[in-house]
Amino acid sequence: MTPSTNRTRALAALVAAAGAALPAAPARAAVPGITGPSFHLVASADFVSQPDGASIYAFGYGCDGAPAGFLPARPNGAQGPAPTCPQTMQLPGPTLIVTQGQSVTVTLRNALPPAAGNTSIVFPGFQVTSAGGVAGLLAQEAPGGGTVTYTFVASTPGTHAYHSGTQADLQIEMGLYGAIVVLPATPPGGCVRGPFSLAPAAYGHAATCYDREYLFQLSELDSRIHDQALAQVQACPVGPCPAIQAVTEPYHPNYFLLNGRSLPDDMDTPYAAGYPHQPYNANPHMHPGEKVLMRMVGQGRWQHPFHFHGNHARVLARDGNLLLSAADGTSLAGPLLFTTPTVSGQTQDQIFTWTGKGLNWDVYNHRAGDGSRCIPDASGYHAIKTDPNAGEWCADHLKPIPVTPPDPTIVAIGQWYGGTPYLGIQSTGSFTGTNEPPGTLNQNPQAGYAYMWHSHNEREITTNDVFPGGIMSMLLIDPPAWFIDETL
Amino acid sequence: MHRIPRLALLLALGLSATAARAQSFRVQCPSATALHPRACSGGTKAGAACSAASDCPGGACAPDARYPGQIKCQEVGGGDGFATMADGHQIYLFGFSPLSGLADVQAGLPGTQPADVFNLGYLGPNYSSAGAGTCGGGTNAGEACVTVADCPDVTGTCAHAPNWAPTPNNGGITEPAGIMDMGVLAGNAPAPLMAIDEDDEFFLTLSNPGMIMRPDLFEQHTVHFHGYPNASSYFDGVPDASVAINIAGSFTYYYTAPDAGTYFWHCHITPPEHLQMGMVGQLYVRPRQDRLGPNDALRDALIAANKRAAVDPSATGLSCSDLLCTGQTPAPAVDTGARGGGKYAYNDGDGSTRYDVEYPIQMMGFDPNFHYVGMTFNPEPFADMKDKYFLLSGRGYPDTVNPKAISTVAADGVARPAQPLPSVIRIAKSQGQTRALLRISDLSVTEFTTLGTVGIPMTVIAQNARLLRDLAGRNLYYDTNSLTLGGGESADVILDASNVPAGTYYLYSTNLDHLSNDAENFGGMMTEIQVF
Repeated sequence: MTPSTNRTRALAALVAAAGAALPAAPARAAVPGITGPSFHLVASADFVSQPDGASIYAFGYGCDGAPAGFLPARPNGAQGPAPTCPQTMQLPGPTLIVTQGQSVTVTLRNALPPAAGNTSIVFPGFQVTSAGGVAGLLAQEAPGGGTVTYTFVASTPGTHAYHSGTQADLQIEMGLYGAIVVLPATPPGGCVRGPFSLAPAAYGHAATCYDREYLFQLSELDSRIHDQALAQVQACPVGPCPAIQAVTEPYHPNYFLLNGRSLPDDMDTPYAAGYPHQPYNANPHMHPGEKVLMRMVGQGRWQHPFHFHGNHARVLARDGNLLLSAADGTSLAGPLLFTTPTVSGQTQDQIFTWTGKGLNWDVYNHRAGDGSRCIPDASGYHAIKTDPNAGEWCADHLKPIPVTPPDPTIVAIGQWYGGTPYLGIQSTGSFTGTNEPPGTLNQNPQAGYAYMWHSHNEREITTNDVFPGGIMSMLLIDPPAWFIDETL
Repeated sequence: MHRIPRLALLLALGLSATAARAQSFRVQCPSATALHPRACSGGTKAGAACSAASDCPGGACAPDARYPGQIKCQEVGGGDGFATMADGHQIYLFGFSPLSGLADVQAGLPGTQPADVFNLGYLGPNYSSAGAGTCGGGTNAGEACVTVADCPDVTGTCAHAPNWAPTPNNGGITEPAGIMDMGVLAGNAPAPLMAIDEDDEFFLTLSNPGMIMRPDLFEQHTVHFHGYPNASSYFDGVPDASVAINIAGSFTYYYTAPDAGTYFWHCHITPPEHLQMGMVGQLYVRPRQDRLGPNDALRDALIAANKRAAVDPSATGLSCSDLLCTGQTPAPAVDTGARGGGKYAYNDGDGSTRYDVEYPIQMMGFDPNFHYVGMTFNPEPFADMKDKYFLLSGRGYPDTVNPKAISTVAADGVARPAQPLPSVIRIAKSQGQTRALLRISDLSVTEFTTLGTVGIPMTVIAQNARLLRDLAGRNLYYDTNSLTLGGGESADVILDASNVPAGTYYLYSTNLDHLSNDAENFGGMMTEIQVF
């Protein structure tokens, strides 16, 4: 028996509550968004929830009427909630999905409370023209109750940010930001679009093909600013009102967000009913050998060093500009990183993969005579795609794990531990299971490999002084036979 | 009233029994593996496989030199300790203690050892007796002693524990009593330095002796090898995704050496706490290019290595066979004709990362308020964390230029070398040295920091343990006077003093508030570059 300290008790309670809150089916993620090229957005106010139970007053962009459509398409077998776009606001704003070359129009209506004043959108990286609204410093603005329309050509593929250009220190903090995804007009031949992907490739370059994609918008939130804004809005429900005077410096955020949510909410389902104003999650999954496109966006004010466990990633582009070698104009030139520092307003596209190459032990725990096989392709990976070990690194087939694991009674078991050092459900003598004590809380019933993806400025993996939380999620590398439903 | 003491006593007995049954320190360091077998060297059986010297009449049973790399081992303890900040204040640590390689660690070197050295076993002082032995005879019989001079009677001897010696060797501590003795209150800042070579296998044992200053915590610890490619989640050290070792247990992590570069390691239990409290260290991998000689063409060797890694017989080896260059580096587009014989940061194939001296430097920060809370029994304020000690490898200026280990007297009255790493950079042009490699990693948990130089430029050759080169083989190194890193990032910098006059230069944080040791307003993240 282990006595519980205050901190341990709080942590245990949080984890238990998180377990209770999570759905029975494991959650996944994709890059959900709305399609255009004509968008009608509304800026308004509402409350967003955080895992510590706080309800925080926020501004955000939402849909003004029904959007033209939603992506990604839902393939057969998808069981997640139907996509929606709040008619008030969402945090972050709707992800706008368009195709390279399209003329994009965004009509913004200002439904913010009177004290909030004007609002607007800037689209870094695009040449924008405006119609309607009133003149502002960084962009044409929509006055209270009014509208403004922005038009630009989505000239380059890739990931871009958008955010308010009005009283930015307050309005961005309050939540007025989002992402734009521009799909390549001419994907390279030979690429196959994954069932939940937006496109077969990130750019019109063969090296940018991918199997799955996920969006990561990193931001932070200082609830004291939001409280000040709420108080002033409530003090003047009907205009004309004095402008909100919130103290935004010095800046001390106590919440840290991935796509508007913190762990463990960010591992819940996208479009989950429990987060009506935070539709997007951040819960990547993949199979061994798959290429995962990571669309990274720095929102908010701070830089965040986002560390992805498991492997490096290859940087393809920054701000939608593909990075190619000056020597031949064709070879990729972006660096290999294991930690990507996000910068406010900057985006980075990168591809992550995992193969298990070179571990020197069989991650599937194959034994001689068990009927398994590993037939190497030209690169050394198992070539039979329908086998349960598709993509296995054949040089390690049948090799035993080189150390003796510790006695199970002397270790603490993690919620995403698969029960054994191996990938996939293991047959352990007389039964097949996860080898964990009865009652163990297990978020990984498929016994995949879980890797924490998180800000490495580690205080940012807390939620209002409680660990775990904040900018943290798990990548799950699921066994090849496990169906990944990215709508869950 | 009388019932309470009885109940407490019964509870204590029960807990004690439970703890006794659960104790399972176990250090693993095999002397041979399938990748690194042993063979007879010399004698009539030279070259034959062997397990012991008796298999090799007239020769020795040694690691088979025909297999590249070696088995390397290291042991660390996860616990607590104390360090001294440059303003003289003592600070409480959660820390990793060295339980092997102590001679090297205390000399500021990596504590990683070949298996044969590790398995010699520990010889050295022990902390609990502070080096004391017992006079074994004469008129001083039974009295404490350190050397025989303390037992002046001609028939006296000073008898120590069997593994005692005046100074430590590099053997591993494998006995539970030794692990507790040398692991308690022995946390280092930064954590023990680790270094391996490409083609090595690395067995890293984490033993958990507990945190004596925090008997209220039953803290697990883990090791996360930050940046390890194609990692297994089992050995990735994330307690949520794997398992974490409890007090009185050991976990042996296993790694095949990844691609060369500057990585780092840290505990992954409650990282905002354990990293802030000091459980961070650097780990670097030396390239196999270091093993080439003057007759070996670097580019040819790299192309051959790329081909081996590609497996595909049609691979040219000129570039990478997969998007992440697993086990590969693009061959340089320009063939410089460079040959081996030097020390290199990466398998560059063109000699461009050659260096004469190397310095691992870890950027860190400590928040003294948080450390005080961590030493007491109070809730921890993560959002308001504010570092006020800004450190390079566990020290602030001017301690950064102190060439010796810094010892701190802990709560038990024993001084331990808790801060073994100076970061003074010395380039002896008079001895033919011109190029210094700075292996820089940032393990701050709060802020991005910029390091600058004045008078001597930096060439950044790598980021995140990967050479800056595009897939066409073009070097993307850049010259600069500033380097900005956030937590969890690393970079390799070459300082070239060829055209720099002798003198003292500085590497310092250009975040000027980071040039302080708490209220002492000059110091912090700064060190000297001495060119002579």
